[in-house]
Amino acid sequence: MSELLAATALRELVGRWLADGRRVAGPQCAKTHDDLHRHDLIRYGWLTAADQLLLAGFIRPLNSIKEFVFPRHEELYSYRFKGKQIELLPIETDPREQIIIGARPCDAAALGILDRVFNWDFRDEFYNRRRELTTVVTLACSEHDDHCFCTSVDSGPGDTRGSDVLLIPLEADQYEVRCLTEKGKRLFAGQTAASTTEGKVLAGPPPRLDLAAVGDFLDGGYENPEWQKITLRCLGCAACAYTCPTCHCFDMVDEGNAAGGVRVRNWDACQFAAFTVHVSGHNPRSVQAQRQRQRIYHKFQIYPKKFGELLCTGCGNCTRNCPVGLGVLPVLQSIVDKSQKNVPSPSGREC
Amino acid sequence: MLDELREKCKQLLANGTVQVVIGYGQPAEAGGVVPVFITTPEDAQQLVWNDQCFANLTKYLLRSEIKALGKAAICVKGCDERALVVLERESQIDRTQIVVIGLLCDGVGQPRLPKCEACDVHKPRAADVLIGQPPADGQPLPAEQRYAALAAFLRKTPEERIAYWMAELSRCTKCYACRQVCPMCYCRQCIADKNRPVAISTSATLKGNFAWQITRAFHLASRCVGCDECSRVCPAGIDLRLLNLSLAQAAEKSFAFRAGMDPAAEPVIGAYREQDHEEFIR
Repeated sequence: MSELLAATALRELVGRWLADGRRVAGPQCAKTHDDLHRHDLIRYGWLTAADQLLLAGFIRPLNSIKEFVFPRHEELYSYRFKGKQIELLPIETDPREQIIIGARPCDAAALGILDRVFNWDFRDEFYNRRRELTTVVTLACSEHDDHCFCTSVDSGPGDTRGSDVLLIPLEADQYEVRCLTEKGKRLFAGQTAASTTEGKVLAGPPPRLDLAAVGDFLDGGYENPEWQKITLRCLGCAACAYTCPTCHCFDMVDEGNAAGGVRVRNWDACQFAAFTVHVSGHNPRSVQAQRQRQRIYHKFQIYPKKFGELLCTGCGNCTRNCPVGLGVLPVLQSIVDKSQKNVPSPSGREC
Repeated sequence: MLDELREKCKQLLANGTVQVVIGYGQPAEAGGVVPVFITTPEDAQQLVWNDQCFANLTKYLLRSEIKALGKAAICVKGCDERALVVLERESQIDRTQIVVIGLLCDGVGQPRLPKCEACDVHKPRAADVLIGQPPADGQPLPAEQRYAALAAFLRKTPEERIAYWMAELSRCTKCYACRQVCPMCYCRQCIADKNRPVAISTSATLKGNFAWQITRAFHLASRCVGCDECSRVCPAGIDLRLLNLSLAQAAEKSFAFRAGMDPAAEPVIGAYREQDHEEFIR
């Protein structure tokens, strides 16, 4: 048995969520086709009306849903100078429930991954507050492009990590609704009709990466000179990290004046030269190849050793958004390919 | 044309004129045309030239990793070559130490990018090697045609324009792809990275994004060559071209100056004459 919901009923339901005062985010067209941008710009964003929600006709949004639980700018607390005293004041938070609908499985899975980081040695109240208010309604993929590689990194179009509900598109404008958590059940209670029709989750992209070979390479490949060659075209922006569903680095800064201000945390990225520069001016990651290498090691060795899963869901956004066509998949494909062809010399030059 | 390009680059590498050719290639794993750095004569076969060669490669001449490879030959389209003119004028490159391979170009992208529709530099003018058949000598396009996109935008009301920029800049995450891809953004420390004290808020809020993009546009005034790489690579689809066109038009109207067109012309910023307009000083 399965539970079904018509596309029109789903849209009406989204309208009711909005009318109830809940914050709803989902894929939408942020900018239509114009003379510069040949394709519509599809991004996750807050919806103000149910008809803005896009559920078909694109591979995946160019940003990720992490910004709804880990915003690119977050005020932590404010401060005020009172003579020689400093007064700390809490920031007023938005208590509304938030629903992310139409998340791709590669985005939702990333929330499960982020949960570990923000609850490991310290329970991050800002992340967790938003996370607890969030229900994730994931939409299984109907198609993939050349950049998708979820099936190569222990994920796929039916990955339910991080999801409260999985919607599977059926023919005749219907969805099978699989409620995975209590939160999900509450959201769709009484909305669906029982049926014997079951949705079929697609197999997804063909395998594009040999994870075992990647692991073998990383074990001894830290100083392999190929890093330098393969990443030479990287320009050092954060288009990859900021559109990645799993990258989660941030910086904390005080913004204010002599009277007081706000302590905020803003996204930061390991691809920036300034990310590791010391006060002395010394930079332990002095060239771009070291920064690219760091990103790959974090995703495929450091995080997995600590938490038992990869810090990558294979969404492909890094490559889609890269000004010069780099990204996790092309870097790893090249490095595995090259390392299998040429055994690196033991005294490999530090890149 | 492609054979000619590969053969020429092969020679330059084989006879030791250069140690690296900065060009375009299409490695299987990249899924498209990307910048490549060719260091051996055999690898010159990897070079490509087609209408997907978007990148303005001149940025790489400024990157330490590329400088470390040795003397370079660089492939440029006519629009990219304008960046070389500005960079030389600003003492960032030594033109005598670079071999410029000019590619005759009738536009990139399918359909053509907006900059190509308003292009009057199809032929690189000061290349050491010119690849391709020169077309009938192109006449400079009238300014109305080059600034048509800006004129169309300026026909909107001020209220519509600010609403447009607020919607656009609300999507900016400060990934700095615009800065990193820009040949004119070569400051050793960008003002956006200054933190002792902070000069521009690092927050990707509407206020912080306006501060960043307006500052950047002003720093590019009379220097931007209109390669539009910032607009092309923006993951948030922000049409930064409009800001740059606006300042380019101001430089042309007030000083009859187009960045990167005339190697002999004194730069607008960095040169002073008593006759300069000063009505902005109050």
